[in-house]
Amino acid sequence: MGQIITVTSGKGGVGKSTTLANLAVALADLGKRVVAVDFDIGLRNLDMLLGLENRIVYNVVDIMEGKCNLSQALINDKHSKNLYFLPASQTNDKNILDTDKVRALMQTLKQEFDIVLVDSPAGIEGGFEHAVLYADRALVVSTPDVSSVRDADRVIGIIDAKSEKAQAGEEVQKHIIVNRLKPDLVERGDMLTVEDVLNILALPLIGVVLDDEKVISSTNTGEPVVRDKKAVSSDAYRRIARRILGEEVPVPDFTAKKGFFKRLFG
Amino acid sequence: MSFFDKLFGKKESSASKAKDRLRLVLETERGANAIPNMDEMREELIKVIQKYTKVKDIKIISEKNHDIDVLALEIILDN
Repeated sequence: MGQIITVTSGKGGVGKSTTLANLAVALADLGKRVVAVDFDIGLRNLDMLLGLENRIVYNVVDIMEGKCNLSQALINDKHSKNLYFLPASQTNDKNILDTDKVRALMQTLKQEFDIVLVDSPAGIEGGFEHAVLYADRALVVSTPDVSSVRDADRVIGIIDAKSEKAQAGEEVQKHIIVNRLKPDLVERGDMLTVEDVLNILALPLIGVVLDDEKVISSTNTGEPVVRDKKAVSSDAYRRIARRILGEEVPVPDFTAKKGFFKRLFG
Repeated sequence: MSFFDKLFGKKESSASKAKDRLRLVLETERGANAIPNMDEMREELIKVIQKYTKVKDIKIISEKNHDIDVLALEIILDN
């Protein structure tokens, strides 16, 4: 039986889907059977990040409504035979998700795959609630800024209150991914440190991803940056993937390289 | 803050301001979100109190005093 890992953030635009796409590739490369599920119903995104937008026939809502079976909707990745993708539907109907049907789908996916990565929509409405409802664990992505951290805090509270596991008295394992850290800004005192974010959110860290321009070009081409071995973020995503599988992987030192003057007087 | 920054009276960093502001905001928000079914609780409380006296409205105020979380009920009576 696999596990359901929901990637969430509260605030939009902090890199949630990018994180998910890269972790999906990294986990598949580690030999796990992975399915990336886009639960951002109405606003499909993950398909382009994975470069699979031209292969979509059916979507996640079609399966739940019985219009197709799972294997018809699943899209295999271009490079990895271990990685599959389930696209979001583009319906405008906010109430399309039915709790029992979502549960049934999640149960099936758990049986077929080692890891079910669920991309939650931003916000705290219906789609988000369904994305966290059946989570075994949650990865909360936050950039080191006030709005992102504040919304992450809110989302953590909701996971604790609403997820089925939490309601059954069990704990949903939760970890923080600090995304788009800029060491030089941290050094100047103009950006929250990783420790600040963790102290405020009171949760353990699972990884830090530095701000990386290569993420933008990789999004343009639909090739997750994790496949670019030279990109700084690539290494970060691979480390996080190994930690998800329970391996102890050290966090590298992110302090900015100091200039001559700073080294002398800092 | 380094020795030199202090010497030349450099102002407080923006990151530490961010930290303080976040702490304050989250302290209030966490209290308010601690009970997810607050509305249902409020409805039920009104029903119970209605048995004994006439209620116009109930306000539930959640506060945090040091380490103690407090829920204060303000019952507005209907005269």
